[in-house]
Amino acid sequence: MTRTTRRSLLAAGAAAFALPALLASPAGAVTPAEIKARGKIIVGIQGDNPPWGFVTSAGKQDGLDADIATLFAKDLGVAVEFVPLEVNNRIPALTTGRVDVLFATMAMLPERAKAVQFSKPYVANTIVFIGPKKDKITSNEDMGRYTIAVAKGAAQDTQVTKNAPAGTVIRRYDGDAPSIQALVSGQVQAIGGNIFYMQRIEQGRPGEFENKLEFQNLYNGACTRLGEKEINAALNAFIDKIKANGELQKVYDKWMKVPVHKFPDSLEGVSFTAN
Amino acid sequence: MGEAEFLFLLTGLKWTVLLSLVGFAGGGVCGLAVALMRSSGIAPLERGTAGYIALFQGTPLLMQLFVVYYGLALIGLKLDAWVAVAIGFTLHASAYLGEIWRGSIEAVPRGQTEAAKALSLHYVARMKDVVLPQAIRISLPATIGFLVQLIKGTSLAAIVGFTELTRAGNIVSNQTFKPLLVFGVVGILYFLLCWPLSLYGAHLERRMAVAAR
Amino acid sequence: MNYRLDFTPVIEGLPDLLLACLGTFGLALGGMALAIVIGIGGVILRESRLAPVRWLVKGFVELVRNTPFLVQIFFIYFALPLAGVRLDPTPTAILALGINGGAYAIEIIRGGVQSIGKGQIEAGLALGLHRGQVFRLIVLKPALRAIFPSLTSQFVLLTLTTSVCSAISAYELTSVAQRIESESFRSFEVFGTITLFYLVISWVMMRFFSGISQRYLSYPVK
Repeated sequence: MTRTTRRSLLAAGAAAFALPALLASPAGAVTPAEIKARGKIIVGIQGDNPPWGFVTSAGKQDGLDADIATLFAKDLGVAVEFVPLEVNNRIPALTTGRVDVLFATMAMLPERAKAVQFSKPYVANTIVFIGPKKDKITSNEDMGRYTIAVAKGAAQDTQVTKNAPAGTVIRRYDGDAPSIQALVSGQVQAIGGNIFYMQRIEQGRPGEFENKLEFQNLYNGACTRLGEKEINAALNAFIDKIKANGELQKVYDKWMKVPVHKFPDSLEGVSFTAN
Repeated sequence: MGEAEFLFLLTGLKWTVLLSLVGFAGGGVCGLAVALMRSSGIAPLERGTAGYIALFQGTPLLMQLFVVYYGLALIGLKLDAWVAVAIGFTLHASAYLGEIWRGSIEAVPRGQTEAAKALSLHYVARMKDVVLPQAIRISLPATIGFLVQLIKGTSLAAIVGFTELTRAGNIVSNQTFKPLLVFGVVGILYFLLCWPLSLYGAHLERRMAVAAR
Repeated sequence: MNYRLDFTPVIEGLPDLLLACLGTFGLALGGMALAIVIGIGGVILRESRLAPVRWLVKGFVELVRNTPFLVQIFFIYFALPLAGVRLDPTPTAILALGINGGAYAIEIIRGGVQSIGKGQIEAGLALGLHRGQVFRLIVLKPALRAIFPSLTSQFVLLTLTTSVCSAISAYELTSVAQRIESESFRSFEVFGTITLFYLVISWVMMRFFSGISQRYLSYPVK
């Protein structure tokens, strides 16, 4: 090979390294107009937390959050692309620009409201403490007797950590699935979860556990990045619409099997609109 | 565990194989560049690549995945999980393969390089026609050994939520509550993937030891 | 969207992270100790006159070296309890690290032992040493010296593998980092920082091993 060819090879190599830097525009704010122009909305969702968000054995994304996100996409007139996320990948995926919006069982907590912008609530969730049926557990103090599993970074992680007495052994796993596995395999005696955990636990260890304590009723909202007003407004308008026209009740009937919850107009520490 | 669940595991296996191939191919191309720079004789290049290799060999693969997965989005590259993870493994493989191939380039007898220079072959021709073919042959057992390590390493993509074989196993285990069976099957699938490669690498190593006598 | 780097949660979490490094070292040293025991035991059993024993060791080595560590530790932690063996995260992690390291140690030590010439062993026996002494003084120590570099790099790898033990909530650096990250959502800052921590940890391990090598294995060899 001649010298000039070698030089051009080197130049091509240098350009290949420089190309990502040129292509990478700083992650801009996303607006409904941009999403419509793009033709699809990228939605962060949970991958193994039925009935909220889960991937079926056929590889399809399904769940309550999936249905609501699909309705929102239809409202915007675009296709939906789901990105299944682990529990404590949800907020980083949004803040670093990997997804446009989160419909991912995001409980509306004040600490989270500092990092992301919540929409109005669209579904309610109850975080519970699940323990052995035969034991008497009536107060937060009783939690101290148990080794408790939680999914890292989930609302149950925050609730159990906050409410259990100091010194309680809390084991944090990467997601809902390993936490439930830990309970079923006997690695822990109790677990913090949501109201739908019992259905799954009953399949693995029938008749042994039940919901013992209920932490505050938590509301779930859709999340967007702080400061992005237009998409937040679009989400709020959409949520008002499906509450009014019965679409939300249809989704509730399919997954929650209860009437639509009465949502509060405001939550302490969490604002529903971007400013 | 029924047929649907087993098929889901096989889908995970498919992603494991794809991820390993992409990581190995990408890592191979970059690794060759790293190896050449590391043995180039140009001090700043050598020190730079030595640092690059030390960074990837001195930190856990899990951390490398975390940093790439969360960091790439920061510089504006909005990539989906598959691409981010593929890049992570490519970088990891490039450092390890670079070091393996650097060692084998330096193991080619000096006389070969000197003879090539005496025949007035330039760097590229020297490398392409004389040194690299011999170096790659010497490096085959270690390279195949690393491929096995890479295949096993793809299991860590499960922790960032990428559904390859290990994560598929977690999901199925949580649906069927039969972890002994599910993780047993997952282990066997990895074994069937890796063991033939390991055996081939060992066979090559024995053959080359005989040839060297 | 501006993602501004903010290292405050990392700085505030520094005491926890430093303590967690001790957890990492604890798991690593425990795993290494078990790996050496399994390694030496495996090498001895490998030379057994009973074929099934030899095949058991060979099978163990091939199985462990061709399956991922994550699957091995998941198996011990989530699956074994259903067979009656339930271990807490720390013993599970040490067991998994020891078994994984042990399989590689068997092969490495075997290579070293085989490099000792038969003449050395015969000379030792001729001098009246019994088999145990021959093994300890003539085979093991020179073999250890020969394989020390391979063993060192394998054990540094083992130390880095402790990060995977976070998947079963063992107490080490990655678990604590994940807790800080899930509270602050500063994933790049947290994980970038502990990547540097691990660099220091692997450097410390290498110094530790080179210290052992200099102290015990630097006797002159004619």
